[in-house]
Amino acid sequence: MKCLKLIFLFYVLTAATQIFAQDSTASLLSILEKEMEQNKDVTFYTTATFKTTRLINGHSVENVGKGVLDVKVSHRFGNISEGFYELFGLDKASMRAGFDYGITKNIMIGVGRSTFQKTYDGFIKVKILQQSRGKKNMPITLSYIPTIALKTIHYEDPKIDNHFRSRLSYSHQLIIGRKFSDNTSLQLMPVFIHQNLVTLARESNDIFAIGIGGRQKISKRVSLNAEYYYVLPGTRLNGTNNSLSLGFDIETGGHVFQLHFTNSQGMNERTFIADTKGRWDKGDIYFGFNISRVFTIGKKN
Amino acid sequence: MFQKPIILLFTLILLSSNVNAPALMYSVSSGSITFSSDAPLELIKASSNQLKGIFNADKKEFAFTLNVNSFKGFNSPLQQEHFNENYLESNKYPRASFEGKIIEDIDLKKNGSYNIRAKGNLTVHGVTQERILKCELSIKNKVVSIKSNFTVLLADHNITIPKVVHEKLASEIKVEVKADMIEK
Repeated sequence: MKCLKLIFLFYVLTAATQIFAQDSTASLLSILEKEMEQNKDVTFYTTATFKTTRLINGHSVENVGKGVLDVKVSHRFGNISEGFYELFGLDKASMRAGFDYGITKNIMIGVGRSTFQKTYDGFIKVKILQQSRGKKNMPITLSYIPTIALKTIHYEDPKIDNHFRSRLSYSHQLIIGRKFSDNTSLQLMPVFIHQNLVTLARESNDIFAIGIGGRQKISKRVSLNAEYYYVLPGTRLNGTNNSLSLGFDIETGGHVFQLHFTNSQGMNERTFIADTKGRWDKGDIYFGFNISRVFTIGKKN
Repeated sequence: MFQKPIILLFTLILLSSNVNAPALMYSVSSGSITFSSDAPLELIKASSNQLKGIFNADKKEFAFTLNVNSFKGFNSPLQQEHFNENYLESNKYPRASFEGKIIEDIDLKKNGSYNIRAKGNLTVHGVTQERILKCELSIKNKVVSIKSNFTVLLADHNITIPKVVHEKLASEIKVEVKADMIEK
């Protein structure tokens, strides 16, 4: 009888393995998908970390595509606390018009002019690392952005000996960004700014700041953005504050509309990071928007 | 004690049925999918050559799949980004697939060409639809080539078109699949 039991057990086991064997041949698709999972030859690059190349005032880790021209028109209105007489600042607009162009997938250039201090600015943005998974695994995207800005507003005191170089300022910025999920992206932005001329002798020409920013998508085409730049205490200019901005990105086809509230009026790195005069707690809040429209002028892909 | 041989026999029968002859399997050696959206204001085209597929000739069963984000072409890089980000949501639904069975009987050992119908489940954007797709199949020197043209309704797969791009995006997408399959 013992022998019989053993044979019965064997019988059951064989039947069980047969069921398993059938199960593994049941779906050709699952075999195929397993093969694809194991295939490590493909790298998936993360795209659309942010909707456009600017987070609010500052840059995001995004670049425009190769051969793509991005026309950007940005406005910052007057102080909301000025009330109804100035229609909450809408009577006073300061603007920047700019053109960005993608030379390659990873290198873009841009120029712009702001009405604030009649400033021309130019930048290069180089994507050094791109977040990816698969064959090449990279947790972050890293970009480097050097900028130059030229104030062309009349010299404050034309009688003294003024130098052209006093109109220039520079910034060097790194952006470390990561898309955590389809909806959430964050970035850190250490930045160094050099101004050839500052107002007071005791002020530093060199300013260090660190920015943090992010977006949370609230629908497929709308995201909520925030951006904050903290200026390191020893380097802060007299009477300036850290820049804090909150806003929305609204995307419709080739356009991205960015609507925001910020305590900064400037729209180039030197002005909004180093020269933010407004304070949120005093009600110095400016409404503003950026409109981005892309045109493909180079060859496809 | 005569029970013993009977059980032994049963066991032997069971074991023998477990050892199947290996099925005649084919897999895609080169395959491409091209889709086009022909709307009043814009023609959009993109293709992928990363089509993967297997075919069990004995059972007449097949499965094809590809990574949605491998489509290239489009009219601008931004369009490609929107395709992945907003329409196909390729991060959430990384693959599109078609699996099922061929209705007609064909002899894959002989050269020839056939018009066949493939019945199965087409999954795009995480939504599965049962479809019967017409397909040209030809066999030449053991290479099985297939070609199929069909359409996909975006609404069938829960892909919504915002009003502002209605004139730029067709609601019916034309798809062409081509693949060469060889014995595995």
